[in-house]
Amino acid sequence: MLKSSHFTIGLASLALSAFLFLFAIPTWVTTPGNVSNVVLSPVFWPYALSGVLALVGAGLLIMGSREIVAAPDDAADAPAHGTEAWMRLGAMAVLMAVYAAAIPRLGMVWASMLAFAAAAFLMRTRHPLPALVSAVAVPLILYAFFAHVASVAVPQGDFVRLP
Amino acid sequence: MSFIDSIMAGLALVANVESFLALAIGVTVGVIAGAIPGMSATMAVALTLPFTFSLAPITGILLLLGVYKGGIFAGSIPAILIKTPGTPASSATVLDGYPMAEKGQAGKALGMALYASCTADLISNMALIMFAGILASFALNFGPPEFFTLILFSLTIIAGVSGDSLLKGIFSAVLGLLFATVGLDLVYGTNRFNFNDPNLMGGLNFIAVLIGLFAIPEILNMVWNPASADGKTRSLGAKWVTFAEYKRCFRSIIRGSLIGVFLGSIPGIGAAPSAFLSYSEARRKSKNRENFGKGEIEGVAASEAGNNGVAGATLIPLLALGVPGDVITAIIIGAFMIHGLQPGPMMFIMNVDIIYGMFLGLIISSVLLLFVGSISIRAFRYVADIPRGVLFPAVMVLCVYGVYAVNNNIFDVGVMFAMGWLGYIMLRANIPAAPFLIAFILGPLLEDNFRQSMLMSGSSPWILARGPITWFFWTVTLITVVAIVRAGVKGHRDARRQRRAAAETRAG
Repeated sequence: MLKSSHFTIGLASLALSAFLFLFAIPTWVTTPGNVSNVVLSPVFWPYALSGVLALVGAGLLIMGSREIVAAPDDAADAPAHGTEAWMRLGAMAVLMAVYAAAIPRLGMVWASMLAFAAAAFLMRTRHPLPALVSAVAVPLILYAFFAHVASVAVPQGDFVRLP
Repeated sequence: MSFIDSIMAGLALVANVESFLALAIGVTVGVIAGAIPGMSATMAVALTLPFTFSLAPITGILLLLGVYKGGIFAGSIPAILIKTPGTPASSATVLDGYPMAEKGQAGKALGMALYASCTADLISNMALIMFAGILASFALNFGPPEFFTLILFSLTIIAGVSGDSLLKGIFSAVLGLLFATVGLDLVYGTNRFNFNDPNLMGGLNFIAVLIGLFAIPEILNMVWNPASADGKTRSLGAKWVTFAEYKRCFRSIIRGSLIGVFLGSIPGIGAAPSAFLSYSEARRKSKNRENFGKGEIEGVAASEAGNNGVAGATLIPLLALGVPGDVITAIIIGAFMIHGLQPGPMMFIMNVDIIYGMFLGLIISSVLLLFVGSISIRAFRYVADIPRGVLFPAVMVLCVYGVYAVNNNIFDVGVMFAMGWLGYIMLRANIPAAPFLIAFILGPLLEDNFRQSMLMSGSSPWILARGPITWFFWTVTLITVVAIVRAGVKGHRDARRQRRAAAETRAG
């Protein structure tokens, strides 16, 4: 038997509310000295929302503590929860970070080609050839549209520039 | 000039090949742009604007209106096929459209989206013609307190998109409201959660948040479990939407159209809240309410009627008062000005032929949308047959290009990926993303109007109940909240009863 997801989300909600109240709002929200009324202060709205978050968290906690759910019969789902799935997810996080970082250096088109191919590999595509062709064609077609029709300044990178 | 004379003057202006061609090209461009995630109708209208400079005023305006109409409808195509709303207004269409596509009924969902869109569009245009003056004068009475209560009421629609758990929906909405506070303070201009980063001073890019929440989690889900797509490319289904289904959804379509007309006539509300409100109302009133969110065709009809019902009505404040109803009409006002026209009450006297020419053009655009939409569905639906291992990487690349193109800013791409991970965590925890999005849209409006009200009243809260309009919105908000809580308690009890029964069956 397991606690329901309401309980976990309730805990997270309360923790987030406490973090906002005690640290985030005092640190990251600047209040000018001449604020005449607390209701008009820049911190009022975030504090009010943190309060609502705490109330919702308490509600979720109460609801979650009342309902105990059966452990899922997850034999069918088991393969997806393996180490390999977590590794693929981690690799995707790295891929996204590298993709965003590579755009200014490699250019949007070349970075997209590499990211497309890597993502298709991570998704274990059963159609490698169409994936490879698409990895080259899709970024080029999008470049042609955005750069030449929509006049968007698509990043070109430091190496190979496209017309 | 009589009404008939005005119609005839308008007809003389639009009864030519150029006007029809402008509308047809506009609708086609709008449909193509709207169907590409990240290429919103707003962007399409903005990109088309320079092409109108050399055209006659009415031709240029009709071209832009065609793009607007086509773009708003076409957002439903990727929303249904790949769970990525082409425009923010189509976010509600995802809720039932995508599950229908997964069940092999994408063709049916797209057909219903088209018919609901065209019906709502026609109703909205008729409303524009008949009630422009009355509705615009009603909206003119709104000040910050009235807007605050209206938006507060709109937030109750969150209950309609919360899925199984109302509290999880509220949690998601509060997160959306919190994310909307990022940026410079609206009154004092001081920093709020922006860490002195210039990229964050204007707040989080809406398109990046939207695409991050709705598209990226699907890509991550595919990475988590690639086998889920093995051997099944989604079939569109052989069946098209039937007249019986259209008839069954007709009440929801009419209701959604009227919601769209009402909200569209109030500046600043936009199509997305209208779609969610229409969806929520349809769910509340439907006999099949338990099917909503699981692939109910009425849900698709309601959300599409809601967002297309806005399209004609947003022109009411634009034409009658010279006040743009949303971002797109703000761009369209630029087209008027380029041609030396000043929208407002005087235009009904000085340029009545253009006003009525536009009205007629809008009605023609509804018919054109039906034809262009039918063809575009048949063209774009093949997206559904692309293997997922190829489709999702393509979606990722498309999202990156689309999000980048909004502000030419790579930072927005990072925001999109970050929101994607948040969306994925929410997906895994069964927290609905739609309340987050609707709260993110309404958050700044809610706070701005609240603080303006407080400034007006010297911080007296009584200003928020200063007249019949605010009383009306407080009353409907209260009624909605009571109804939601009652429905939530009932649903919770039913679920507990079912769990107990299941446990007893297992024990027995």
